[in-house]
Amino acid sequence: MIRNGFLLLLLLVLFSVFYFSLQDLLEFQKTSASYFLEYGLDETGSSNLVTSILLDYRLFDSLFEAGILLIAVSGIIWISKHEIEEKNAEFMIDKFKTPDLFVTFSRLVYPLMLAFGFYIIINGHVSPGGGFQGGAIVATAILILYYIDAEKETNIKLIVTIEKYLYLTILVIASLSFFTRGTFFTNIFDPGTFDTGTQSIYLIVLNVLVGFKVALGLWTIFTAFLKEGR
Amino acid sequence: MDPLLTFIVILVGMYGLSTSKNIIKSVFSVTIMESGVILLFLNLGNTEGGSIPIVSRASEVIADPLPQALMITTIVIGSTVTALALMLCIKVFHHYGTVEWREILARGGGK
Repeated sequence: MIRNGFLLLLLLVLFSVFYFSLQDLLEFQKTSASYFLEYGLDETGSSNLVTSILLDYRLFDSLFEAGILLIAVSGIIWISKHEIEEKNAEFMIDKFKTPDLFVTFSRLVYPLMLAFGFYIIINGHVSPGGGFQGGAIVATAILILYYIDAEKETNIKLIVTIEKYLYLTILVIASLSFFTRGTFFTNIFDPGTFDTGTQSIYLIVLNVLVGFKVALGLWTIFTAFLKEGR
Repeated sequence: MDPLLTFIVILVGMYGLSTSKNIIKSVFSVTIMESGVILLFLNLGNTEGGSIPIVSRASEVIADPLPQALMITTIVIGSTVTALALMLCIKVFHHYGTVEWREILARGGGK
């Protein structure tokens, strides 16, 4: 009881600290939005300003974000390693317990979800979305595929290898701008000489690569959890 | 929504983290704290009456795209770290047969 009282007191103190720090934060905000609105499209070729930050202004950040995803996936696989190699994960999803209605509707919804995910990935520079969000949708569609076909075999090692090579490809493509513009981690095409249409080629390529990498990573996490559930 | 409400969400997560007796509930408390941080950042980047940060559909005032881009990073990293923590939970359960903090300590965990 006394411990709970102390805890509530501590939380109250923390709340007041937050409250007073908020006053400083409110003075600081709303300085960068007008800059991005004015120069974002011309400098990066991306109409979606969030994508222009993720894939151009702060690309260094996004690369390490994708790297952390890769490291976490490797960690999950290493923790869940078994002596016996299982070929598939059918013992977790029992086909006889899954309702037929669910399976039938999954068959209908699955291609739509896959197409929607690819749409989000490819249109990441003009509409809301991008590689990370679209990759999550594609991974969800693959997750539904497990319910449709429980005997489907997945080779985790192959998926992780593909993911590693995709990450290397992303690093190489992000560094290519050193040879064309003299700076690392920005658009290959110089905004002074190329129009926004040409610049968007780079954004589409990078979005597709990031999207596939995220989808494969989440797929691996899902399969590792299925194999662990005994 | 007021930014102060997001502080309450963070504090709810802290309370859960310090009182929960179950490992999985502790992981969920961290996730709740993370949601509070995400809400706080999106709240501070928002402008009254501002439109979405897409040039072709923007009005004169837009919401700040920088916190939104940062929060994508937070969401992706948060989900993977949660997955890693839950996988460790499964391993702890296989080893000790329970996911209660006190029972694990009583059975000689953490030594």
